[in-house]
Amino acid sequence: MMQWMTLFNKEMTENWRNKKWIWVPLVFILLAITDPLSTYYMPQIIDAVGGLPEGTIIEMPEPAPAEVVAMSLGQFSSFGVLIIVLTSMGTIAGEIKNGVAELILVKPVAYKNYISAKWAAHLLLILVAFAVGMFASWYYINLLFGDLSFTSFLFILLFYGTWLLFVVTLSIFYNTFFKTPGLVAFFSILTIVVMSIVTQIFGTYLEWSPNNLSNYIFEMVRADDISSQLVGTSIVTVAISIVLLILSIYIFKTKELIQ
Amino acid sequence: MGLLTAHHLTKSYKEKTAVNNISFTFQKNKCIALIGPNGAGKTTILRILAGILDPTSGAITFQNMEVGSDFRSKIGYLPQYPVFHSWMTGLEFLIYSGRLSNLSKVESRNRAESLLLKVGIEDAKNTLIGKYSGGMKQRLGIAQAIIHKPEILMLDEPVSSLDPIGRREVLTLMGELKEEMTILFSTHILTDADEVSDELLLLRDGEIVESGSMIELREKYQTSSIKLEFQTDLHLYQKKVEKIASTTGSYIERNALYVSATDIQLARREILALVSKENWPLLSFTLNRATLEDMFMKVVNQ
Repeated sequence: MMQWMTLFNKEMTENWRNKKWIWVPLVFILLAITDPLSTYYMPQIIDAVGGLPEGTIIEMPEPAPAEVVAMSLGQFSSFGVLIIVLTSMGTIAGEIKNGVAELILVKPVAYKNYISAKWAAHLLLILVAFAVGMFASWYYINLLFGDLSFTSFLFILLFYGTWLLFVVTLSIFYNTFFKTPGLVAFFSILTIVVMSIVTQIFGTYLEWSPNNLSNYIFEMVRADDISSQLVGTSIVTVAISIVLLILSIYIFKTKELIQ
Repeated sequence: MGLLTAHHLTKSYKEKTAVNNISFTFQKNKCIALIGPNGAGKTTILRILAGILDPTSGAITFQNMEVGSDFRSKIGYLPQYPVFHSWMTGLEFLIYSGRLSNLSKVESRNRAESLLLKVGIEDAKNTLIGKYSGGMKQRLGIAQAIIHKPEILMLDEPVSSLDPIGRREVLTLMGELKEEMTILFSTHILTDADEVSDELLLLRDGEIVESGSMIELREKYQTSSIKLEFQTDLHLYQKKVEKIASTTGSYIERNALYVSATDIQLARREILALVSKENWPLLSFTLNRATLEDMFMKVVNQ
């Protein structure tokens, strides 16, 4: 445990000194509020830019809070995933590639501590950044579009959090697989894209695919009811993540770390 | 029984065998030099011993420990090109190393402070490692390797990348550490090996070609030669020298004639007699003692 804390603290300090603790939350806030704000102010924006003939009346349906939540989550599912992968692609692969791992792993470091401390530190960063970003989105939704209860906000964090857990774990998994950070990023994103395509094609069979989480969360906010699909999908997502984490440790143990 | 024993270590890759069936034993508190040309397998052996590379076959046993158990806590290791977290300070990195080696917080800090003093980078302890020079990194590398008081310290080419001053400092430091622990280091610079090591392991193409203490090897490969310099026509005198019964061979290199002989004293007398009798235009006459380099070349070229 002491060793785990040492490794975890090192990750936290590193992410603080390289400013990830500042820019990741800021980018996540930006991702979360861009859509709510641009949707709300679209008529004014079009007006200011001009280009429409005199006398045109712009009428846009005002989206419901649930739809705005879906927009924010949509941003996290695309740009958010990209940022998660880019910030974590070198956490292990990079240390092996540049040689620091050669100094660290000759110490009596348990590989499970090394992997899980890195995983936990990155997960914490991403979850906090997501909570902050989503909080900003929640604030603007209440201000501009209508009521969204704080309880709903917490449930959004909880359920979408499992998706983020999956993405972070997937990136850690590929980190133990490849020695090149670029490949880690490429395969993480490829996996998510393929999963999303497969889920769309075989949607009827893959009711509990992690890629469906956003849809179920939208339904939850709209109907104000937690469906069994949402709970089931979350459990599946968490389970896949746990398996991936255990696999990562196993791969790391058996792999040749140095060429 | 020695401190560490390697049994038939082999490491092969697809294209080549880096280490081929090597066995050896290290005694406590010795300083052993691993010598060999580039690509002989020095780094591979050190990495296997340090536990970051698994041998294809063979095993390592540590004194009083079961085969296959994790003996990383007994070992300190410094790679040839150590890379640190450049965002940490020297002190932070040492404390981090100590904590990873399961030292307590207080102990890590105390050890870190005293080692910074010992390796002579006390002034830079709060500077980011990213700003360290090569020599400072090498010294920090040694400090992190011994923070947990290992029984064996393994250094991969510890001085080859340093300037003469840094080289001298690190060699002196190794001389001091030799009193406290077993040191195993690789080098291709023979004078360094000559200076600090008690024993030598000579490697070629992944195999040990010779081993033993410095004195043993010196005796075994003790050969001497006579170096003659002339004003003119070396080849003429080479022929004459070769006719002398006690000489066994000769070669010309850079305006000097080198003569080897079975009995060097006899050869000296005979050559000098010839020189004075025929009045050779001799510039210099030198008796060469065999250097470690000669021995190395001899063993490696066998």
